[in-house]
Amino acid sequence: MKTYSLYFFLFAAALFAFTGCDDDDDISPVLEGGTFEVEFENVFGPQDNQRSFSLSDVGSTDYGFTNSMGQDYNITFLRYYISEVVLEGPDGERFEDPMSVSATGAEGYYLISADDPSSMTFDLENVPAGRYNKISFLLGVDSTGVQEGAAGGSLDPATSGMFWSWNAGYVAFKIEGQSAASAGGASGNTIENTNDKGIVFHLGGWKDIDGTAFRNNNQRVTLEFDTNASVGAGLEPTAHLELDVDAVFNGPETTIDFANSNVNVHRPVDGADMAVNAAAAFRYDHIHQ
Amino acid sequence: MRPLVFALCFMLFAGCQPGETQSDTSFTFVQPEHFPPATYDFERNPVTEAGFKLGKRLFEDVRLSSDNSVSCSTCHQQAVAFSDPQHRLSLGVEERVGTRNAPGLFNLAFTSEFMLDGGITHLDFVPINAITSEVEMDETLENVVAKLRANAGYREAFQDAFGEDTITSGLMLQALSQYQNMLVSDRSKYDDVVTGRNDAAFSAAELRGEAFFKNNCASCHAGVLFTDQSYRNNGLAGDGAQDAGRSLISEVGTDIGKFRVPSLRNVSRTAPYMHDGRFETLDEVLLHYRDGVVSSSTLDPGLEGGIAMTSDEMADVIAFLETLTDWEFVQDPRF
Ligand code: HEC
Ligand code: HEC
Repeated sequence: MKTYSLYFFLFAAALFAFTGCDDDDDISPVLEGGTFEVEFENVFGPQDNQRSFSLSDVGSTDYGFTNSMGQDYNITFLRYYISEVVLEGPDGERFEDPMSVSATGAEGYYLISADDPSSMTFDLENVPAGRYNKISFLLGVDSTGVQEGAAGGSLDPATSGMFWSWNAGYVAFKIEGQSAASAGGASGNTIENTNDKGIVFHLGGWKDIDGTAFRNNNQRVTLEFDTNASVGAGLEPTAHLELDVDAVFNGPETTIDFANSNVNVHRPVDGADMAVNAAAAFRYDHIHQ
Repeated sequence: MRPLVFALCFMLFAGCQPGETQSDTSFTFVQPEHFPPATYDFERNPVTEAGFKLGKRLFEDVRLSSDNSVSCSTCHQQAVAFSDPQHRLSLGVEERVGTRNAPGLFNLAFTSEFMLDGGITHLDFVPINAITSEVEMDETLENVVAKLRANAGYREAFQDAFGEDTITSGLMLQALSQYQNMLVSDRSKYDDVVTGRNDAAFSAAELRGEAFFKNNCASCHAGVLFTDQSYRNNGLAGDGAQDAGRSLISEVGTDIGKFRVPSLRNVSRTAPYMHDGRFETLDEVLLHYRDGVVSSSTLDPGLEGGIAMTSDEMADVIAFLETLTDWEFVQDPRF
């Protein structure tokens, strides 16, 4: 059992001890702090030459993007999990977003879905007043979250479209679309294997299996701000972060050739290199104070 | 006394709440004293009578499949310790043939990795695999939840079990786990002998069989659960080509053809045997260990050359294996 659930348990126990049997809400443990908003934006291209990103229809041969190999493509599906969010400041400030999982909800696990604008933003609550110049998060859901068992909210496998049943756990990152260069045959949430231009990349795998190759593809991402974001009375900053979709296919670990690479990725081992690319494709854009 | 009530912790907390009724312990998970501690986290999902009954109802409901034809109990039948006696490979919707033989279901609360390749590490997630597999129930979780929500009886049953008026996949999975966690098989003759219950004693043949088993089989089929829960290749012919087993999950070649060592409890009821149900009788299984073990790079070193045994020894081993049948379990009216 990881520490946070233990802490939660101790906290609950302590709360119980204090409140005893009279169930009045008069001693509510108000933690002083403010809200820090995190906003994700999916974009195409490097920061100095970026274009806006939008999803295409399944079957569309309108290829809005071109990869580093000159192959045209579009994207029909893009979702990823952000969890274990941590803020840090120049004076030792540190905020860890609390996390918990129950059969009907999940706190601290955020599913960013390109098809749902409301999912692109989330609030960190009760952030202690202070200055912050760094955010870090896990791209994916680690073993602690998986081993909680049945889960709701952003983790609900009935609605998330992000659960692997055969190698049970949450897929960290899914991107699907079509490329003029692809020979098809891929299948995923939006792409069927009859789609002759389909490309599907499901980047998952969270297990550390003793004595085998390391196939935990969850990546920790750290982004530094170029300015301090201040939380305090009347100060509710927003950190605007970006994912460069093109960099997922062309990053530090691998370059995906839609004509020759595996364009139907569903196994941890097949997605390992791309998961590193995906983590590196996130960047800080600006703070909105 | 056997009962070591797991709900203890829960009760401590609930103790102050007014109007708490004493629940019948026959719907409480009871940790058998001679078993290792349960691995399931009962603090998160304690078994209650209403939750167990809801889980049983779900387990037996064909609504969980796309064409309302297959339930969990189609492939997992109580009379044969929740295995499937009819089909070598399991049969799902539209008679679609699966890839493996349906194993018996019992003592799941003490298991931490499920399926013969260990691909699932939490009991709550096992039904997702069955529901969404094209060759089993071929349904989506979303649809199952919608079907349940549309049913007033289920809405009421979820309300009773969880105090929630909205049915979610998480609650459904927890109810199924409550039912499956209660499938504890600890009342066989073997259990009576090791715990000194009912003045039980092994016959001479059973004793000889036990001794042979301890020397030759218990390195893998270990302890009171009769499995060390590891993944091993027991030398079945043509494994690798047919079913890569554990390597599907670990993604390493050294695991090709390895499967989770199955429990041998209730084994006389759970034919056919092995991951693909290739053997119909325990005799065939023993003949395999004696004469049929195929050498390969992943064969368990302990089985190199097979296990020598006389036909008397084979009969003794089978007599011993039969003491593992838990008749009370397969006839328990609660299940
Ligand atoms: C079509 C037949 C079929 C149906 C329907 C089915 N199962 Fe299974 N079940 C199997 C097979 C086959 C396996 C072994 C699969 C494997 O190892 O990959 C299995 C494995 C399991 C296991 C793992 C046992 C272990 O020791 O690892 C559990 C638990 C289980 N099933 C529960 C269920 C539940 C709950 C349902 C209903 C939601 C269900 N099954 C529906 C065939 C079926
Ligand atoms: C090296 C480890 C090992 C040893 C030793 C071993 N087994 Fe097994 N046994 C396994 C594995 C692994 C399986 C599952 C193989 C599969 O599903 O394909 C298995 C399967 C079985 C099964 C089938 C169970 C079922 O429900 O399908 C029986 C019965 C069995 N073993 C009995 C024995 C007996 C009796 C001995 C001693 C004579 C023995 N085993 C020795 C590893 C071992």
